[in-house]
Amino acid sequence: MQNKRAIFGAKGLPYLLLAPQLIITAIFFLWPAGQAIWQSFLREDAFGIKTTFVALENYSRLFADPSYLNALKVTVVFALSTAALSMGVALVLALAVDRTLRSARIYSTLLIWPYAVAPAVAGVLWWFMFNPTIGILPYLLKGVGYGWNHALDRGDAMTLVVISAAWKQISYNFLFFVAGLQAIPASLREAAAIDGAGPVRRFWTITLPLLSPTTFFLLVVTIVYTMFDTFGVIDAITEGGPAQSTNILVYKVYQDGFVGLNLGSSAAQSVVLMGIVIVLTVIQFRFVERRVNY
Amino acid sequence: MATLTLESLGKTYDSGASAVSGINIDVADGEFLVLVGPSGCGKSTLLRMIAGLETVTHGSIRIGPREVNRLEPADRDIAMVFQNYALYPHMSVRENLSYGLRNRRMARAEITRRVEEAARILEIGDFLERKPRALSGGQRQRVAMGRAIVREPSVFLFDEPLSNLDAKLRVTMRGEIRNLQKRLGTTSVYVTHDQLEAMTLADRLVVLRAGKVEQIGTPLEVYQRPASTFVAEFIGSPAMNLLDGVMEHGRLAIGTATMRLPDAHCGPVRVGVRAEDLRAVPGGTQGALPVRLSYVEELGSQRLGHFDCAGARLIAAFPSGQGLSEEMALMADPEALHLFGADGMRLT
Repeated sequence: MQNKRAIFGAKGLPYLLLAPQLIITAIFFLWPAGQAIWQSFLREDAFGIKTTFVALENYSRLFADPSYLNALKVTVVFALSTAALSMGVALVLALAVDRTLRSARIYSTLLIWPYAVAPAVAGVLWWFMFNPTIGILPYLLKGVGYGWNHALDRGDAMTLVVISAAWKQISYNFLFFVAGLQAIPASLREAAAIDGAGPVRRFWTITLPLLSPTTFFLLVVTIVYTMFDTFGVIDAITEGGPAQSTNILVYKVYQDGFVGLNLGSSAAQSVVLMGIVIVLTVIQFRFVERRVNY
Repeated sequence: MATLTLESLGKTYDSGASAVSGINIDVADGEFLVLVGPSGCGKSTLLRMIAGLETVTHGSIRIGPREVNRLEPADRDIAMVFQNYALYPHMSVRENLSYGLRNRRMARAEITRRVEEAARILEIGDFLERKPRALSGGQRQRVAMGRAIVREPSVFLFDEPLSNLDAKLRVTMRGEIRNLQKRLGTTSVYVTHDQLEAMTLADRLVVLRAGKVEQIGTPLEVYQRPASTFVAEFIGSPAMNLLDGVMEHGRLAIGTATMRLPDAHCGPVRVGVRAEDLRAVPGGTQGALPVRLSYVEELGSQRLGHFDCAGARLIAAFPSGQGLSEEMALMADPEALHLFGADGMRLT
């Protein structure tokens, strides 16, 4: 890949060509990240008049704070449930498309649409459907004897944000699963059929192992999505409630920083999040690049 | 061990297009049958119908006494070697070989015995623990064969298994497949578009054209008595020469040349003659064709002269030492001529 090297006569030209990208990275990533790290070592008084350097105290307070630890736990539950739901449904839909030949294109196009919906809009959509007062689904659930109220019940609230967040991500996962399935040669499944494996066994022993690179890639991408891009969903549906039960890390950064104006703690939380995303990205590059299973 | 019977077998797609039709073939126990034809002639479809990977719309397929039309591929007691080998990339060679046996819940000791046995026969014992991607093309080919062998099926099906190998390896593997099949005595159906492969492997070969059987016979029968101009041109290399001629009162006329032929047919005919049946004769000999040399192909053991014969192309094979000149006369014995009617079918 790297054997084609352009030779530049003027020393400055390569830097000039790289400049737009570097400037964007510096202004929109490096500078704010640096600011956040610096801010995380500071504490301001309630009126923003005095700023004190407190070193790592913001961090030590953070990890001693039960509400932060709760947010961490909520985030893990939320991320894993959303990943499981969105990937599971996406895989089932992708398998269905892989079997259909005639209407596969229309079907796929329809399934991709939710990806174009903004998270906040998706949140509002589901919020309406599940609205305890006017929603259609609580009405139906009442019919089977379940009193749905995500404004009061922690489980209901979590279920609702997971569904809303997963719904949007299904499209993305679906696309990758379809591509992954189509990359598996038909002859492998035919060989397995001749080798006496029924459809279910074929799926578990041939299709799923061969899909594992796609699955792993999507797992990382979906977790990153649930941890960072679901702010809109949470804000539109539950605002982190009831009783902190859906207060994920990224929402808490906003609440503590912008609502609570505790900028030092909020910055420290941002840095922790940044650390998590860096770790996930490293995992992705290290393992996905060299294909997981074979 | 079993016979394979195809009876007025056909497949028509939903769109109404016919892939194969009216196929009647009896494959004897232990016979090596080769299906050969150009791309799109339906040979692969036919094989896949036998395997159960394509549905059958007409007729029946019987393996032994048992009709298998509606059986799942797994229940037909067949094994198939695919063109791209279709080895499971995430399994080791051993797992690839044993997959079909494990699916059938065979006892572990028996699986081990069969895998070892197949590995011994195919000389792949040294890399049983490797993944397919760590194998060369020839080794993958052997593993694919091994996967068929361990099953000990009634019928082997081969779908152009050698087409991904380089020319030299192809000749070696061809010999090995032939030997292996003779040793195991398993009824086999082999699909190829390579007429040389078909000739060398087959007990009998079936030439297919547009989904129909054009001719069935041993390689020599098909070579020596092609049933149609299609078969004549397809089997044998270089392809048989075909010239337009006219039969009248026991005389055959091709352009200006005429010769006696003990044949009662009258009218226009296509005359086929193999390159090796033509020989150079002095100009003006009775029945010789005057030709013009266009170029020569040197093959080492022989040289092929490409000629122009009154607008038609003609290829003749000569011993390597023979000199060729610009203007020549070529002739063949009357017995070496093949006569075909205007519809392309053999006349005698």
